[in-house]
Amino acid sequence: MTPVDAAATNVGAGNWKGLGMWAWLLFRVAGIVLVVYLFAHIGVISTARLGGRSTLNSAFDLFDHPLFVLLDLLLVWAVLFHALNGVRILLMDFGLGIHRHKLVFAACMAVAVISLGFFAFKAFAYIAAHHAGGLGGLI
Amino acid sequence: MTTDVVERPPQTPPAPPAASPPVTGRMRPTVIADSAGGMWAWLLQRVTAVVLIIGLLTHLVATHIFNIGHLSYLNIGDRLGSTFFVVIDVSLLAAAIFHGLNGARMVVLDYWLESRAGRRALSIALWVFGSAVFAYGLWALWPWISR
Repeated sequence: MTPVDAAATNVGAGNWKGLGMWAWLLFRVAGIVLVVYLFAHIGVISTARLGGRSTLNSAFDLFDHPLFVLLDLLLVWAVLFHALNGVRILLMDFGLGIHRHKLVFAACMAVAVISLGFFAFKAFAYIAAHHAGGLGGLI
Repeated sequence: MTTDVVERPPQTPPAPPAASPPVTGRMRPTVIADSAGGMWAWLLQRVTAVVLIIGLLTHLVATHIFNIGHLSYLNIGDRLGSTFFVVIDVSLLAAAIFHGLNGARMVVLDYWLESRAGRRALSIALWVFGSAVFAYGLWALWPWISR
């Protein structure tokens, strides 16, 4: 089977075989995670007005724990994947790169992974600087 | 649906379109496919996506890369003391609520609510809820903004 035939057999051979379907699924999962986070975020920030500034500051103390910093990093990944896959969708809507779907996807993911690298570096540096045991504080 | 695409028979010409079933309270499948979500929601989803890409980038970079270290009530106030960040944060609040709720609506419409009335009720409920959350968010930020 030639590569072209192999790609063609994905069409209609079951939606779960294509890269695009996984991109769609992860896009949707990340979107749902982000909408849940959005309301949690609004709720947390509003404790400054509901309970006074000390309530918000004690929430921030909790979020300083290495576990929360790692969860933040997971959240950053959700944002980056959703945003960069969204960029691909916007480009497709404008008719750009329609014949280079997978290349555009790969380029977007490269930007997402490189950006995640910056945030990961900051997150681990933060944990190292603020927690004597580093990630050991988790265990 | 056959999974054996390699050996599928040569394509037959498409069948003539079937007569449309009578329209009752439920939308015909073709109509659902054509109008899922609606044009304005689709357009606003794209516009808010661009706002979110610019705004969230600013928001995340300002908070976590050029940072301020340990977050506190006071250093949030320092950031929100500038008009630039007030504009960024308030437009983020509005754009994120619309984009998030419309995205959740699209998930719901993929699986449920085939009737026009149900779809309209969902849209109205989400607009009411979203507006309330926006007002609440603005109320929560007000002590910083008005300082």
